[in-house]
Amino acid sequence: MRRTHLLFAIVISAILFTAAPAQKLHTSSAPAASAPLKLALPIKDGSVKFAVIGDTGSGTEQQRDVGAMMVKYHALFPFDFVLMMGDNLYGGEAPQDFEKKFAEPYKALLDQKVKFYATLGNHDQALQVNYANFNMNGKEYYRFTKGKIAFYSLNSNYMDQKQVQWLEDQLSHETAEWKVMFFHHPPYSSAKKHGSDGQLREVVEPIFLKYGVDVVLTGHDHVYERIKPQKGIYYFVSGAGGKLRTGDVDKQSGLAEKSYDRDLHFMLFEVDGDRMYFQAISRTGETIDSGVIQRK
Amino acid sequence: MKRKRHVCLLVFVCALFWGSSLAVAQKSAPEIQIFEKQVNDYIALRNKVRANAPKLSKDSTPEQIHAYRTTLQDALRTARPNAKPGEFFRPEVADFIRRTLKAEFQGKDRQELREQIFETETQGVVIRVNYPYPQSAELSEMPATLLAKLPPLPKELRYRFVGRNMLLVDRESDVIIDYMPDALP
Repeated sequence: MRRTHLLFAIVISAILFTAAPAQKLHTSSAPAASAPLKLALPIKDGSVKFAVIGDTGSGTEQQRDVGAMMVKYHALFPFDFVLMMGDNLYGGEAPQDFEKKFAEPYKALLDQKVKFYATLGNHDQALQVNYANFNMNGKEYYRFTKGKIAFYSLNSNYMDQKQVQWLEDQLSHETAEWKVMFFHHPPYSSAKKHGSDGQLREVVEPIFLKYGVDVVLTGHDHVYERIKPQKGIYYFVSGAGGKLRTGDVDKQSGLAEKSYDRDLHFMLFEVDGDRMYFQAISRTGETIDSGVIQRK
Repeated sequence: MKRKRHVCLLVFVCALFWGSSLAVAQKSAPEIQIFEKQVNDYIALRNKVRANAPKLSKDSTPEQIHAYRTTLQDALRTARPNAKPGEFFRPEVADFIRRTLKAEFQGKDRQELREQIFETETQGVVIRVNYPYPQSAELSEMPATLLAKLPPLPKELRYRFVGRNMLLVDRESDVIIDYMPDALP
């Protein structure tokens, strides 16, 4: 078993901005009081570029604002796919719900052939796995690769022994350099509403450690959090793509390296060799957080 | 070196013993066997019913998903006209599950588990056999540590909590197949 040791170097915006000069773009359809767009990612040739959104399916104007801001950033940073952290459709799953809470807010991205890969949240019905635009291939948990990254979407609503066994089997044969998990419930979170999912962590964390998982992306808590590395693994909570719980982060928990609970957000990622760059962006285009994870 | 070999041998013997005792434990739980038979019978019935439902591909549209779900719900209800509470969770099965839940939820360290289940917003969920779980309601996360102790289910079925009640739900159609009141301690 190869144990990956990670070095986490937070290159604060200044360094990244010097590597990738800030690009500005103003357009008329931006949400009210939108900030000038600044990209804190290097945009290297051949890198894997993707976005992350979580807890999106509210169908609200705020969700559409986030979708519109993603389109603007896509013009600067042409990400190929989007990972969805679950709660893709709140409150009902009739055909019109798919339209209002997913297809319409992200229409411009879908039209540009950006692929969405979903995971199931606690508001999602099982048959979402069959929806073509969620690319779940009929599976509640699945794996796919992009470049040298293996992505694993897990169903954290129902982590039964079959799924645990599948995860172990897959990881034991994994040859990809980067191993990225994404699922709904956060094993670590300092949000007051839900917080860390200890019982899920009890089951999945030993597996992540055993097989050298690098990064875990989650949602559920309607805030942004970059958790301090836990036993060498980097955890993000990105659960405010369509719903926000203002002031929900418990700043005293000491868990989060960076958190944000004042507006909705999405994230951008770029993986180039042993470096994973990330940027969290608010609904209005403000950069909330950025940095780089270095794989060793 | 010799000591290391002895340790390995001891671990191997323990593993064998543990494995065989587990097998014996599983075989000696007649209540689980009863439950499994009920589940298997349901799956056989479901497979027949499903054969008449429209096919659902992995690349479906929302309309196709909706049509499949509603057809399956109706067909399952029609196929089990006399379905009633307690068909799967018979008294002996219910006792076994209640004991399992009680053991799992004991201790201070399990307080979080209780909170997690009870925080699920399930107001307005009418628990009624043969009727679907409402799409507007939140689904409780089934604790992974608990699922490891409950009788395993085929992929077509799911356990779910609504307050202290435990449901058995058809995964695709979300039809409530059975429920057990006051399952949680």
